[in-house]
Amino acid sequence: MSVESGHAAGAHERSHPTVRQYLLIGLLLTLITVVELIASYSDLGSLLIPILFVLSAVKFAVVIAYFMHLRFEDALLTRIFVVGFVLASAILISLLALFWTDGAISNR
Amino acid sequence: MATAAGALAPPAVQAPSGVWSWLTTVDHKRIGTLYGISGMSFFVLGGIEALLIRSQLAVPNGDVVDADRFNALFSMHALTMIFLGVMPLGAAFFNWLVPLMIGARDVAFPRLNALSYWFFLAGALMLNASWLPGDAPDTGWFAYAPLTEAPFSTGRAMDFYTVSLIILGTSSLIASLNFIVTIINLRAPGLTMFRLPVFVWMTMIVSWLLVLSLPVLTVGLVQLYFDRNFTTNFFIQEGGGDPILWQHIFWIFGHPEVYVLILPAMGIVSEVLPTFARKPLFGYAAVVFAGVAIAVLGFAVWSHHMFTTGLGPVPRVVFSATTMTIAVPTGVKIFNWLGTLYGGNIRFTTSMYFAVAFIATFTIGGISGVMHASPPIDSQQQDTYFIVAHLHYVLFGGAIMGIFSGIYYWFPKFTGRFLSESIGKLHFWLFFIGMNLTFFPMHFLGVSGMPRRIYTYDAGFGWETWNFVATVGAFTIAAGMLTFIWNFFRSLREEPNAPDNPWDAPTLEWATSSPPPEHDFDAVPLVRARDPLWHDRDNGLAQPEADPNEHIHLPPPSYYPLLIAVGFALMGIGALSHLAVLALGVVVVVYGVWGWVLEPTGPEPAAGAH
Amino acid sequence: MAEAAHAPSHAAGAPHSATGIDSRKLLMWIFLASECLFFGALISTYLIFKGDIPFPPASFIADHLHGGEVTGWFPSDRIGPDGTEYAGVLNIPVTSASTFVLLMSSVAMVLAVFGAQNGRPKMMKTWLFATMLLGILFLGFQVFEFHEFGAEGLNLSTNQFGASFFVLTGFHGAHVTVGVLMLGSILIGSMRRTGLGPDSGFHVETVGLYWHFVDVVWIVIFTIIYLIPA
Repeated sequence: MSVESGHAAGAHERSHPTVRQYLLIGLLLTLITVVELIASYSDLGSLLIPILFVLSAVKFAVVIAYFMHLRFEDALLTRIFVVGFVLASAILISLLALFWTDGAISNR
Repeated sequence: MATAAGALAPPAVQAPSGVWSWLTTVDHKRIGTLYGISGMSFFVLGGIEALLIRSQLAVPNGDVVDADRFNALFSMHALTMIFLGVMPLGAAFFNWLVPLMIGARDVAFPRLNALSYWFFLAGALMLNASWLPGDAPDTGWFAYAPLTEAPFSTGRAMDFYTVSLIILGTSSLIASLNFIVTIINLRAPGLTMFRLPVFVWMTMIVSWLLVLSLPVLTVGLVQLYFDRNFTTNFFIQEGGGDPILWQHIFWIFGHPEVYVLILPAMGIVSEVLPTFARKPLFGYAAVVFAGVAIAVLGFAVWSHHMFTTGLGPVPRVVFSATTMTIAVPTGVKIFNWLGTLYGGNIRFTTSMYFAVAFIATFTIGGISGVMHASPPIDSQQQDTYFIVAHLHYVLFGGAIMGIFSGIYYWFPKFTGRFLSESIGKLHFWLFFIGMNLTFFPMHFLGVSGMPRRIYTYDAGFGWETWNFVATVGAFTIAAGMLTFIWNFFRSLREEPNAPDNPWDAPTLEWATSSPPPEHDFDAVPLVRARDPLWHDRDNGLAQPEADPNEHIHLPPPSYYPLLIAVGFALMGIGALSHLAVLALGVVVVVYGVWGWVLEPTGPEPAAGAH
Repeated sequence: MAEAAHAPSHAAGAPHSATGIDSRKLLMWIFLASECLFFGALISTYLIFKGDIPFPPASFIADHLHGGEVTGWFPSDRIGPDGTEYAGVLNIPVTSASTFVLLMSSVAMVLAVFGAQNGRPKMMKTWLFATMLLGILFLGFQVFEFHEFGAEGLNLSTNQFGASFFVLTGFHGAHVTVGVLMLGSILIGSMRRTGLGPDSGFHVETVGLYWHFVDVVWIVIFTIIYLIPA
């Protein structure tokens, strides 16, 4: 990791979205939510969960990358958040695997 | 107290004295001292609890304490040693050493640092306050459901447990956030990550472990509190819950926690061995990467605490494999320490005795640990004294030996005085002989079937001899502790005239006076290599001169950390008693936060203070 | 107070940092990483119990039979093996509205940060206020929902769905509340003569990070609880 004394003004701020871009992103998030709603009321069978998963993941990523500005920040911050997110996901998946054996909670 | 190099340095400001200055301090050195005194005091308390346990078990059908009191003793012994002993002693070293080792003048957020300490003290006092109404937690430190639930734990012991641990967890979380930011951002010029002392790496790794594991424990504690107080059924089978869920949630925290307990000691030993072998640490990069590997794998092994709960063959195989794997980076470290000693010009100081003994006794604990990693073997060993032997070899033979190595090593730096070497060696031998006498026989007891957590046993099982030996060992350890306390107070009466670097050690904390001035360094060090002082010495280089015109701004003291901790403690007390007290606590916390945010922190708007 | 539009995290007086990242921003991101674990454990608990809610005992059915349907037990509509109809408690249209409100609050937040970082204090204050209002509105929806569920018979002790639902969404709501308090504090602070000081953009941005994260957690919760069927 390189050492810089004081400010490295501008080095990590590659660009900022404009107001217009923020509003467009807000619109995109709304649209995705509408699509999710329609999907949840439609009969998509086993496709529903993957579709919802992907759509929410997109919303999640967009808010983090643009609203929370992570895309334009030092990569270290992204790595830090990813560590937390990946670990939480891995633990969640492990717990579900441990509890959903044979499709039921084992201690019932 | 300025160094020779800083003869023209700004005049050393005498650190303020008096109780109020300690209550409002934001100085990492003072906070380190507070953690150290507290940690050592609670270590003694935990030791007394152990002596009562061992007295009760010395002979069959002992009558020193009854069963209920015994349950509280072994539960509080573990909680005290883990959360109020080893962790704060680690924090004492983090606080004292990390800023000094990275050439900084304090941590990134000094007030947050103070807050961590006061939260710790609040949680520690609350946990021990449970003794007063006779409600000390008595279900083991791991508090398995459903024993901890309302039908079976009818007093408030488990509410003291959940609330105190939430407060203690918050303390550790805040401190960990602080140290990670400090290590990443406050390093001196030239100090790249791979020039950091191993102790600093271990601090960072421990901090990450806590940041990522404590939230999971918090969820479990909240769920247990809700089960007990708001009629949920997270862990109550009759209501549709699952006691095993508690075990998972607890050990997802609990396993990384044991690496939190051992890694600081491993960091200490990684500093002590090179100094007294007079050669650099063997395989620095391997030791660092091994530490990272242990942390990552540490999140993947938790169910090895649950091999006997009916997990099923696939989970057992997976967790067995990950657990055996984690022995590899641990072994890497051990071999690197041996490699450091090999060919070295060894000075056998007391600190070195503890560090070398650490390698031996920790390894013994590691070997029994690898045995537990095999589910079939564990099915015999689980809940027997074999596990007690393992955990005490790694925690006493590991963490405690490492911590005392650090105490003898850094005592001159912290106080300007030396602990007596001759008394220290007596202390060492009492500890070393004592711990082996206490815990080695427990392997035999476990294999011959003695279960854990029994308050007595009948004659005729063949357990009498080793139990008695173990009790003798425990009192030997106690004698060792008294010896240390004698050494400590005796040494404090001496003149503080230790030189800057009495051990000819390589790291930056030895580049300033003993003890350091309030501002740590007269001039911010320039780091050109790993083991900077040896590099400078071997290449005839000097550190930068202090600028006599530089005004070193130190963050001013603040009472808001203490106030917020009082408010948080009130919230905890309210959770155990009345909503009104909880509400008052919230008011105090909010008031304290506002005061903190608005408090001026000096001429520069945000000079490291927040 | 005009500020350089291109360097919001290197405000005047930000201390030395080996990486160039402001220490307070770094602190907030590490904290958010730990919050992933907190909500991950709560969501895990919810998912572990979801889909395995047994049918209620007869006493519950008797007490909660309204208009031919049993209320207050399952998340969504169900017909029991004996033909009993169960009305799910979740109200997706209403919760979609509250989700939309929270999403819009993030848009408002981002505009407040924009105002703060570009020396437009009026814009900042307006949108801070809007964010707060939308956050309070979201909390209002939550309170309404909790009350409705309670009236239908679902509470913490009813079944595992009740326990895990209320604890998960309750803690999320608590986080939103803390966020609203922080927004209010920043807003009040900005109305002082000295405003938020030379670092105003940074303070608003930091609160914004927390606020967006709380929104992001809701995106996950909304999908898992409301959209994915039992």
